[in-house]
Amino acid sequence: MLQANRSTTAVSPAALLRFGLRVAAAGVIALTCCFSAHAATGPSHQIVIIKQMHFEPATLNVKAGDTVEWKNEDIFTHTATASDGSFDSGPIAPGSSWQTTISKAGTIAYHCGPHPNMTAQLVVAQTGESGQHEHEGAPGKEEEESLRWSPPRRPEEFHPILVNFTAALLPLAVLSDLLGRLLRRQALHTVGLWMMVYEAAITPLTVFAGWWWKSTEANQLPAKLIMVHQWLGTAAALLFIVLAVWRWRFHRRAIPPTWTYLTFGFVALLALVYQGSLGGAMVFGK
Amino acid sequence: MKKLSSAVLGLAFTFALGTMANAQVPTDPQIVGIVQTANRIDIDQARLALRKSTNPQVKEFANQMISDHTNLEKSVTDLANKLGAKEQTSDTAKQLKQQAAEESKKLNGLKGSDFDREYVSHEIAFHQAVIDAATNTLIPNAKNAELKSALQNAAPVLQGHLQHAQQLQQSLQGSSH
Repeated sequence: MLQANRSTTAVSPAALLRFGLRVAAAGVIALTCCFSAHAATGPSHQIVIIKQMHFEPATLNVKAGDTVEWKNEDIFTHTATASDGSFDSGPIAPGSSWQTTISKAGTIAYHCGPHPNMTAQLVVAQTGESGQHEHEGAPGKEEEESLRWSPPRRPEEFHPILVNFTAALLPLAVLSDLLGRLLRRQALHTVGLWMMVYEAAITPLTVFAGWWWKSTEANQLPAKLIMVHQWLGTAAALLFIVLAVWRWRFHRRAIPPTWTYLTFGFVALLALVYQGSLGGAMVFGK
Repeated sequence: MKKLSSAVLGLAFTFALGTMANAQVPTDPQIVGIVQTANRIDIDQARLALRKSTNPQVKEFANQMISDHTNLEKSVTDLANKLGAKEQTSDTAKQLKQQAAEESKKLNGLKGSDFDREYVSHEIAFHQAVIDAATNTLIPNAKNAELKSALQNAAPVLQGHLQHAQQLQQSLQGSSH
């Protein structure tokens, strides 16, 4: 059966190898994009623990551009509210956390909204200074530091990386099959087939990382946005599996995919674009 | 007049919580009972405030009281179960309940900003009384070290509520003029 399929698709091993190399090259490019995007998100990540009605440490030294995360390990709901209004976490439920990027240099006093006796401060140095006042403005230094790469560990690092694959593979899958039909090129159909299979394989991971991320952010996300994003994403992962199975059946029958399939692929693509805009709104749209 | 009456009530709470020191030293199960009674009183009155008040700041405060005191109550229950010190009632707990019932009756008869002011000033008096009782009586008399440290850890949250209520009172006074 498998043998028969191979002969009908008429793809030479050399073509497969070349295709494989191209996919590998695309992967390398995609990964490079992810890592540089990751490096640009913040020079360093600092953590304040909220425990037994205290912010620890009470004074945190950071640089402008650093990300500060408040982790609530207390049994009460707290907030991190800047006295100058530059940030306000809203309620951080026990066991969850909230983070923000500090852009302005200077000392920022903050407190817990519901418990005004909980006070602490951030001492924010200019970018290029290291905590204490050293040199003013050494522009190259910060960029150098930010290029250091560390392996992703947390869901907010995994999800954006995986999303690149989900976002790149679907349009390529649909476009390849479309061009394959227009140009009558079997090689393009092979690309379309495998891209859709990869899409179906990787998107559940993207969705998983998304849910994981959401579970750590708890109720700090815009309720409607996350609600639509989480279910649309989950539905999309299932839809891609259906599309991949559908696409595979054309392959087994050794025929190019039908226009109905391509239409469904295009609709899925539109849904994915909308899905991406929701995700972007939550990350960048404050 | 209202302010005076809630000050009197605050004194009554202080008295209720203070008499046990003179009468007899509370046992650990009784301490648990007093703390849980105080938690439930505050939760009940916050629920009343959610029903009756229309002021968003007061509602926010009441929601916070429900959330914090529910968590506090749960943590004390968990600890008491762990220590095998199931809460026991005492004269102090009974007096607290009785006074709370009187206060609820009074709050039920008030509306609008009168209600808000009475609720908030009572919260101030109540938290102050509980803090005093915890510091002077409950913590020194707690025999179990874990119970003692749990009470010590609860003090800052009560202090936080007190300060929040005081800020709220000032903002209510500011808006009424």
